[in-house]
Amino acid sequence: MAGVANPMAGFRLVAVDEKKRFMLALIAPAVLVLVFFQILPILTGANASFRDWHLNDPKKTWIGLTNYAYVVRDREFLNVVLPNTFGFLAASVAASLIAGLMLALLLNRQFPGRWLVQTIVLLPLMVAPVIAAIMIRWMFNDQFGIVNVILEAFGIAPIAWLTQKWTAFFAILLTDVWLWTPWFALLLLAALQSLPPEPFEAAQIDAASAWRTFRYITLPMLRPVIVVCVVIRAIDAFRTFDIVWTISGGGPARATEVFSIYAYVEAFQFLNFGRGSAAAVLGAIIIVVFAMALYRLLNRWVEVSR
Amino acid sequence: MAEVILTNVRKTYGAVVAVEDLSLSIADHEFVVFVGPSGCGKSTTLRMIAGLEDTTRGTISIGSRVVNGLQPKDRDIAMVFQNYALYQHMSVYDNLAFGLRNRRVPAAQIDAAVRHAARTLSIETLLERRPRQLSGGQQQRVALGRCIVRNPKVFLFDEPLSNLDAQLRGQMRLEIKELRQRVPTTSVFVTHDQVEAMTLGDRIVVMKDGLMQQVGSPLELYRRPVNRFVASFIGSPAMNFFDVHVTAVPMGFRLSADGIDLELPQRRFAGLGAHAGRAVTIGVRPQHLRLGCTQVDQVGLSGQVMVTEQLGDEQVLAVRVGAGDIRVAGIDPELSLPTGTRINVAVPMDNLHLFDAASGVAIR
Repeated sequence: MAGVANPMAGFRLVAVDEKKRFMLALIAPAVLVLVFFQILPILTGANASFRDWHLNDPKKTWIGLTNYAYVVRDREFLNVVLPNTFGFLAASVAASLIAGLMLALLLNRQFPGRWLVQTIVLLPLMVAPVIAAIMIRWMFNDQFGIVNVILEAFGIAPIAWLTQKWTAFFAILLTDVWLWTPWFALLLLAALQSLPPEPFEAAQIDAASAWRTFRYITLPMLRPVIVVCVVIRAIDAFRTFDIVWTISGGGPARATEVFSIYAYVEAFQFLNFGRGSAAAVLGAIIIVVFAMALYRLLNRWVEVSR
Repeated sequence: MAEVILTNVRKTYGAVVAVEDLSLSIADHEFVVFVGPSGCGKSTTLRMIAGLEDTTRGTISIGSRVVNGLQPKDRDIAMVFQNYALYQHMSVYDNLAFGLRNRRVPAAQIDAAVRHAARTLSIETLLERRPRQLSGGQQQRVALGRCIVRNPKVFLFDEPLSNLDAQLRGQMRLEIKELRQRVPTTSVFVTHDQVEAMTLGDRIVVMKDGLMQQVGSPLELYRRPVNRFVASFIGSPAMNFFDVHVTAVPMGFRLSADGIDLELPQRRFAGLGAHAGRAVTIGVRPQHLRLGCTQVDQVGLSGQVMVTEQLGDEQVLAVRVGAGDIRVAGIDPELSLPTGTRINVAVPMDNLHLFDAASGVAIR
């Protein structure tokens, strides 16, 4: 072979070069988009976080870590924003995982009208989060909202949902769970349908009850998919902005403020770009560390089960 | 007592008939092997006995109890799957114990049963491992252990050896046979490998296209196949077949084709009378053909050696007789037979199988 290939080496080099050039040409647009819309803004933001950069006072003085020190010491950030963010993340991911898993298990069975249920279940995936949030905001409106109308029909006094911290938080959570449950259901259903049938048949012969089959066969086999879903969704939930902003605006009185609202408010309402950027960079660091830790933890859980 | 009785069992998937009108009675402690090409309905039959498929028609009873409406768990059966179907995330111990735990057997009893099964199969040292840390043969033993630990009425085997390499398959075959002697249990074994069927079965059920072709002991099937399909499926190398034309001659029949001219006596082949003037298929096992000239009670063929296969303890020849090739086995490995050599082979008349050329049914 080598003897035949050698005389061709010159030609092959050109061919490879051309191939490489072609490949570069293919990825170039993506790289350009990445550089101009991701990397440069990140660098600009990081740069801003080290400067005293107000819109009303654009001197952009280098002040080192002052902005970071402010954010880290800010009681609002530490006592409200971080607990809210992680509380929201944990509750939303857990609730939509459980609901999604239940739906997936249901849809994995044969029953009449399954396709209809499947279509209905998947509908929220096609709704823009902002639209869902506006819908929920109106549903929970204390004067015109359908929720209070129903409550009143049952003789329960209307609740001012969005003016109290925990009820507002509940409305936000409900929206997120409603939006993301189908996503979990879809992925877990695909995973369920790709599982080999034999262990389930063996379990049937082994007299495993439905619960024990789920607990000892289905769940362990789904673990790898669950881990990936949870990590992706957790990262996504950490940076939730639109539904919180639309439903409560972080209110009442910053009570439902999450990390991304905090950064936005600092930068674009208080017009302190430096501080907003510092909050954003801090958030990025937190989520990277958190996601890596979560992934390792969950991965160990999967490894142990292997 | 746990005999398994299938009565007029039929299974269809839509318009496709997987199993047609199968009736069979499997005695207590009998080991029955279902064999046939893929898609012949053997696995479906096994799964119907297990309760993993329901029957379209007919009844299945285990230990004189009709089990048609029963769940697999209530049929008191255990099954070994082709790909073992072990619970990958459980230790070997838990794999064996799972079925007992589900039945709420006391822990001490489970432990005793698991350790006893592990001892029986020599997997005591593997109890803490996970299936993926085991070799194919070890996994298969764990799958067997999962069966015997519960002491069920019936063992069902769904091609349990087909994922193993040839050497291991031979070894596991022996182990299953040995296990039978230590743990005598009514067993149904499905395979597409006729060697497994011959070596393991008390009786063999040959199936094709959902229909039971023949049931019998390995020797019965080998010696008196009821049709051409069974004859071709059982035995290795496969039986030689050639179509010949039958003409009645005084005291007998002449069977002739291109390069073939045999004369068979009337008194031993009376069944041929009905086929005079028509075509029949002659079947001869490669092992029954001998080099040399025809002697008393033998018929002979002559042809040209085309290919020789040296197997060490014997040679297998492909010999061109007329328009077709036949295989001759059991040739002295030292014998040199260059391609093109003209040879005569002879076969005792007792070892001739005759089949109706159209239907394939054996002519007796």
